[in-house]
Amino acid sequence: MKIISHSYLNRFGAFVNGDLILSGQEDNFLKQYFVQLEIDYPKFYKMDSLSKSAFLGDFLLKNTLQNMVNIDEKLQLIFANSTSSQQTDLKFIESYTFKKNPSPSLFVYTLPNILAGEIAIKHKWYGENIFFILTKFDSKFFIDQIEMSFLRGNEYCMCGWIEMNGLEEEECFMFVVSKTVHWVENQEASNELNQILNNYRNNGIKRTIKSSNN
Amino acid sequence: MGKQAKLEGSLKCYLKYGALISPLGQNVQDHYTAFCDNKSGINQELGTGFNSEDLFLSKIKHLKNSRYNSLLELACKKIVEAYSSSFLQSEKTGIIVSTTKANLEVLPSDTFASTISIIKNILNPYHEPIIISNACISGVIAINTAADYIRSSKFDQVIIIGIDVLSDFIVYGFQSLFALSNEACRPFDKNRKGITLGEACGILIMKNTLDDDFSVEYLAGATSNDANHISGPSRSGEGLFRAVTKAIERSGVSKKEIDFISSHGTATLYNDEMESVALHRLELNHIPTNSFKGYFGHTLGAAGIIETIMCMVSMEKSVLFKSIGFSEVGTTETLNIVSENSNVDLEIVLKTASGFGGGNAALLLKQVK
Amino acid sequence: MELKEQLKAQIIEQLNLEDLTTADIKNDAPLFGDEGLGLDSIDALEFIVLLDSEYSIKIDDPSLAREIFYSIDSMADFIESNK
Repeated sequence: MKIISHSYLNRFGAFVNGDLILSGQEDNFLKQYFVQLEIDYPKFYKMDSLSKSAFLGDFLLKNTLQNMVNIDEKLQLIFANSTSSQQTDLKFIESYTFKKNPSPSLFVYTLPNILAGEIAIKHKWYGENIFFILTKFDSKFFIDQIEMSFLRGNEYCMCGWIEMNGLEEEECFMFVVSKTVHWVENQEASNELNQILNNYRNNGIKRTIKSSNN
Repeated sequence: MGKQAKLEGSLKCYLKYGALISPLGQNVQDHYTAFCDNKSGINQELGTGFNSEDLFLSKIKHLKNSRYNSLLELACKKIVEAYSSSFLQSEKTGIIVSTTKANLEVLPSDTFASTISIIKNILNPYHEPIIISNACISGVIAINTAADYIRSSKFDQVIIIGIDVLSDFIVYGFQSLFALSNEACRPFDKNRKGITLGEACGILIMKNTLDDDFSVEYLAGATSNDANHISGPSRSGEGLFRAVTKAIERSGVSKKEIDFISSHGTATLYNDEMESVALHRLELNHIPTNSFKGYFGHTLGAAGIIETIMCMVSMEKSVLFKSIGFSEVGTTETLNIVSENSNVDLEIVLKTASGFGGGNAALLLKQVK
Repeated sequence: MELKEQLKAQIIEQLNLEDLTTADIKNDAPLFGDEGLGLDSIDALEFIVLLDSEYSIKIDDPSLAREIFYSIDSMADFIESNK
């Protein structure tokens, strides 16, 4: 397997393969990136922040995706986070406790895997999907999942660690792994993944990190 | 690429009963008895709706405070009673949990924290439990993932737990979508009016070796996204069609060998319609099919696990259970819905699930001779 | 506030479109489908609730929803004629 591309975004910036593409300037940084990237996709505004960030993280990887064959069937989506859809869960509770009106458009986002659905819809990808809840980012866990996905017959994985739960837990890290491009052993891939995320978390970005990855 | 070659001659996976707790009973035997009598766990519960409507729910009466935690504790204790500590604590034993919402009572604290702590306290496992939260297909995916871990030799056995409980959050949410039935749900029926929600915990044990007690072989599974809508089923059944096709390919069995389909069958107009279209496209619509939702209601993250357990009961006892609530065909494509309990030997069984986020999942089970 | 502006503000609030301002919604643009705001049947449910809670108008026949909720213009017309 080989990690062929990665993106990262939080309120301080949006990055592709380590390079800063946009600096975060506004409080509403997801909207800012969406506008600055000149994306035409009205449904974006309806999404919750988990889906918005996944949508943007995916958009940043578009150059990589262009060259992939059978991607609509052979790419698996593997996502995880630690806080599930908690922010939207709280908003939904507010809709029925305070506004006395349970909101269907909030309720449909009270599942973390919805973000994978949004990506699948955008690209018309019919491949496999899975969403895990982990206590923290775990590179070995992702590499294990990717290995097993390839064993089942998939050829690419788009993976993501996405938290949008306030400043302490706010990052969208996405990466694409290919089965066919030259083989890197699992341990090596896992180390590389840690390195990539640590660079994003540390390099040039002033931010509070809840805990460093393992 | 040597590593892949090693794994090609894939290891066999066997499923056996762990635990099953629902309004219908405390163990698998209780459920067999209830299903033979076509007893449902669904009852009218006074004042449970957002506007205090008397909704139909499949609710476990003896759960009082902290319903999620007490149900998970109860189920884990049954595993401790049945399995040795050397099995539970082995480095080669994994634990996978399927739940959509876990313990919502503790919000804004971590809703998934108690899942980890309860399992650690009671089962004392070597590895941290792996949690899957992928809407209504979580249970089927959890079983598929367990097989991945066994086939890649990461674990020799996996404890697969599926659990979700009723809450105002879930009930009001499905009410807001106008998705709840005002009577006990009637999957695939002409007069179906929507979902009945339920709660349950089911546990399966998957192993790479065959024990003396009843087991079935897990052949293969797959998932596929509809790529259509985050909350509405695809009209063409594309995702389900692809998930089942992929699962059949991976299993090595032919379509003709499938004896029974345990469908998702939530009893919403659109879901059941979608399933009929997909099964028709798959040329599987003549095969006896049921939905277990008439017995359990829709138990979300538990559904795939508890319905697979009931597929195993069907295989063990050679019985097809009636799809409660069905009397007249109500889908565009006619399905062969099981309308009376009947005795049939079952060799190959297909279990499917579909859910929010456009997810569809399938798995195939085989009788062990 | 003019009815149409008020409607836009209420739609943004009801549908949690906090990234949009009323200026982003055009009076005659379609609200549903892939153009316009890209709304769908879930959002139509929100509109039915909105008309009931804010304007005391009940829509008994949901099949009319698509027509009524086509655009801000059509919604405003419907509200005016049902006051």
